[in-house]
Amino acid sequence: MSARAPLLQLRQLAKRFGSATIFSGVDLDVAAGEFVAIIGESGVGKSTLLNCIAGLDTVDAGSVTLDGLAMNTLGETPQALARRRLLGFVFQAFHVLPHLSVAMNVGLPLLLLGRDEPDRIAAALESVGLQGLGARLPQTLSGGQLQRVAIARALVHAPKLILADEPTGNLDPETAQRVLDTFGEQVRRGGAACVLVTHSPAAAQRADRVLVLATNGLSQR
Amino acid sequence: MDTQCLRLLRQLSWPELRHHVWRHLSAWFAVVLGVALAFAVHLINESALGEFSAAVRSINGQPDFEIRESHRSFGGGFDENLYARVAAHPQVAVASPVLEVETYALGNDGKRFTLRVLGLDALVAAPMSLKLLPQPKPGANRLVVLDPGAIFLNAASMRRLGESGQAHLGSGDRTVALEVQGRIAAQGTPLAVMDIAGAQAAFGALGRISRIDVKLADGASRENVLRELALPSTLRAASPDESALRISNLSRAYRVNLTVLALVALFTGAFLVFSIQSLSVARRLPQFALLGVLGLTARERLNLVLAESTALGVAGSLAGLALGTGLAALALRLLAGDLGGGYFPGVAPALHFSAGAAAVYGLLGVVATLAGAWLPARAAQRIAPAQALKGLLPSSHSTASLRWALAALLGAGALALAPPLYGLPFAAYASVALLLMGGIAGVPAGVNLLLRFVPQPRTALGLLALERARHQRQSATIAVAGIVASLALSVALTVMVGSFRDSVTAWLDQVLPADLYARSASSGASAEVNFLGADMLAAVQAVPGVQRAIGQRVYQVQLDPARPSVAVLSRPLGDPVNSLPLVGELLPPLPGLLGIYVSEAMVSLYGLAPGSRLDLPLTDGRTLQSHVRGVWRDYARQHGAVTVDAADYQAASGDHRINDLAVWLQAGANMAHVQAAITALAGERGLLEFASAIEVRATSLRIFDRSFAVTYWLQATAIAIGLFGIAASFSAQVLARRKEFGALNHLGLTRKQVLQLVALEGAIWSMTGAALGALLGLAVSVVLVKVVNPQSFHWTMDLTVPWARLCLLCLAVVCFATLTAWLAARSAARGSMALLVKEDW
Repeated sequence: MSARAPLLQLRQLAKRFGSATIFSGVDLDVAAGEFVAIIGESGVGKSTLLNCIAGLDTVDAGSVTLDGLAMNTLGETPQALARRRLLGFVFQAFHVLPHLSVAMNVGLPLLLLGRDEPDRIAAALESVGLQGLGARLPQTLSGGQLQRVAIARALVHAPKLILADEPTGNLDPETAQRVLDTFGEQVRRGGAACVLVTHSPAAAQRADRVLVLATNGLSQR
Repeated sequence: MDTQCLRLLRQLSWPELRHHVWRHLSAWFAVVLGVALAFAVHLINESALGEFSAAVRSINGQPDFEIRESHRSFGGGFDENLYARVAAHPQVAVASPVLEVETYALGNDGKRFTLRVLGLDALVAAPMSLKLLPQPKPGANRLVVLDPGAIFLNAASMRRLGESGQAHLGSGDRTVALEVQGRIAAQGTPLAVMDIAGAQAAFGALGRISRIDVKLADGASRENVLRELALPSTLRAASPDESALRISNLSRAYRVNLTVLALVALFTGAFLVFSIQSLSVARRLPQFALLGVLGLTARERLNLVLAESTALGVAGSLAGLALGTGLAALALRLLAGDLGGGYFPGVAPALHFSAGAAAVYGLLGVVATLAGAWLPARAAQRIAPAQALKGLLPSSHSTASLRWALAALLGAGALALAPPLYGLPFAAYASVALLLMGGIAGVPAGVNLLLRFVPQPRTALGLLALERARHQRQSATIAVAGIVASLALSVALTVMVGSFRDSVTAWLDQVLPADLYARSASSGASAEVNFLGADMLAAVQAVPGVQRAIGQRVYQVQLDPARPSVAVLSRPLGDPVNSLPLVGELLPPLPGLLGIYVSEAMVSLYGLAPGSRLDLPLTDGRTLQSHVRGVWRDYARQHGAVTVDAADYQAASGDHRINDLAVWLQAGANMAHVQAAITALAGERGLLEFASAIEVRATSLRIFDRSFAVTYWLQATAIAIGLFGIAASFSAQVLARRKEFGALNHLGLTRKQVLQLVALEGAIWSMTGAALGALLGLAVSVVLVKVVNPQSFHWTMDLTVPWARLCLLCLAVVCFATLTAWLAARSAARGSMALLVKEDW
């Protein structure tokens, strides 16, 4: 555990679907700038845990504190505003908007924050190796390029925490390797904390800590 | 449809249909409604026409031919001596002389009504028509049928006059009293039969007959008989079905226009099918992509979507035919077959179901459905499976659609200039269809052009809405296609009906300058029997309170046996520029020629124009060389009218009789008192029918509104289908975008903002759709007003646009569509948005 004040704090978090317990007793502290990887069997609730952290899913017990905010007690709108300001997301399935250009997709978080910073968008694109492709539409890019668009979008507004859900799950090993390099480098360069959910040992290797999620909570690998 | 396709339908399409049952039901319902309305209108018209023809046949009987005057449908008739010659011809089995009189009778309720009287020789008429054979009252002397003072009534006239007693009928400037002695079996409008000699005496036609019905001997040749009879040029051999044919021709344009209007619903339904199938295909693109990867060919994907639509079309058509039959039966009971046009007075037809027509309209429903599904099917055919599997849709390309749009709009312009086909504006209808299709096909390109001038928004919602509009305009076009089509048609109908009504109102103001009108004849056909003498006009002018009075003479001439007769109106015209609603130039009079003014119908039907010559038939059989000085607008007589100045007419014809009176009152005069004084003047010859200009105007506009009432219902139906379409389209689009909403929510967009975004998009697109629909509607209305109406009804009108009504209509559509979009988004965004990003198909 980091000695610094935790940016993210989970206490005795539990999630159930009906009578089935997905996980319970989850405790986690993530310090600013720390990179944590969470692994675990399929269906154990890794993605659900990320959604609970982001306030996108309800919790059945416990608490989620993000940058001093008790996320699980906030209303829907404050949760959204907190996500906008504090979080960056990277999904397995890219989720870039097909009708926005690459630059616009990347600039979306800034736009939501009311910040008009084209230089920052250009820098984000350059940082993921997509310089010159800002005007293109997503359908003209490869899978690896799309995931790099998603990474740039997650980092462009300098969030305090990046939540990444299997960011290389849709990519071939070679591309995945390159994307992970970019991702790790950019996360560390930006100074953001990161919670990475993955099946990939290669991805997990890049983290400061690797935790295993099971029904009864998180444990150190 | 092969077994493979059926299997795919069962395994892939059926679950999709069950999953989105309401959406597909709305498309099905649109087809049902379209087929039902069109089929119902067809059945009603055909039933009414069939019944009318049957009634005409029962009156005319079943002769091989009739000998009647060439130029007059009603009038003084011809010399009865011809009858003896015809009857004596060895190849003529039976010849029956007939005197036809249209007059009025005074009903038991004190109101006059139009009565057709046939003077027959009962001894020879039976083989022609048993339904016209007089049936004396039980116990009466059978020879009463030869009594010149006896009259026999059909059911309709008996209801008005009673089963016995005296019937008072107008004749010239007096009335005659006839004894009701029995009935006749003929159905339909009020009709009476009496002995021909009695009719000749009662109606001032001694020695004259209107027609001779001829039945030839077995094996006789009509041509030989006619050649040997050597009829004078004023007479001709006519088919007994001519009357039915004339009424069929007269009402044809109205019936066709009504059918086309009814097809509006089906046309709009095709756009709804287009919207729903497009979105269904868009939703299932990953499925089609997977099937493509698994080996389903592009052709099979196309066939699958078309097969789905065929099933929808067949189901919709069958239900539509059933509903249409029910609607027609109901309408025939409630409206008695007259859909407002007034072409089938007094006809109460039974429903005549036609399997052939059902097949045609059913097929039309299927074709409309397939037409609506064609582009979505092509989209399913063209997908690139690999890219679609990644969830990436091709960007909109508007070049092809722009080419189509321009070609369609150019075609529409060319077709609008084409002449009528078989007397009907088929090319103009095609022009309207092309205008709509071209307009809709041009939406993406038009939006692209428009968006070039829109500055980049500085808010996230604005940017998202704008960029989506910019890059996904094809799918948004799909969503608004239905609304564009329905709104365009509604706007067009609103403008057309509004223009027509305004023109009729202005026309009424000009043709009804007097305060009070009185008429002796209730129709043009009865004007020869019911008239006033010149002395009556002088007497009316002397009535206290009367400032001025003029008389009008009206009679009918038959210029073309295939067409309805033309009205000739003679009245003091003064300066025709003020007294007639002239259109176009006015030529100076020519010495030695009767100057006449023809209605617009005479221009299209008889090819007359200012400067043309016409041999105008007079009531005494002579013709007068006349010269067309001008053309005037006449909304009262669709089949044509000729106006001539009374002084010219009387000088040339010597006919001083008048049928109508127009009376200007002195300031402060009491109309009721003046009316009473004129009635008293008429005395026994009374039975004058009075109406004030205000009453005539109000009645005319009431008839107009009744005639067009059906268009309001059709507009409402079209708009309802269009709104239904936009509701279905928006909800489908929103469902298809749930992942996008999920991603936006992850990025920090609140649920409320997502809803706002969709509502904003809905507003933008429905405003675009409304603007385009209104523009297209205005273009269509120009075609309706300037081409369809003149080609159908032979009259022109001024284009007037009811802006306030149109704006309200557009606003209502925009509000409803925006609300629909918001409701659809609210429904789609219900539940966990986190899960939306994980949604697969």
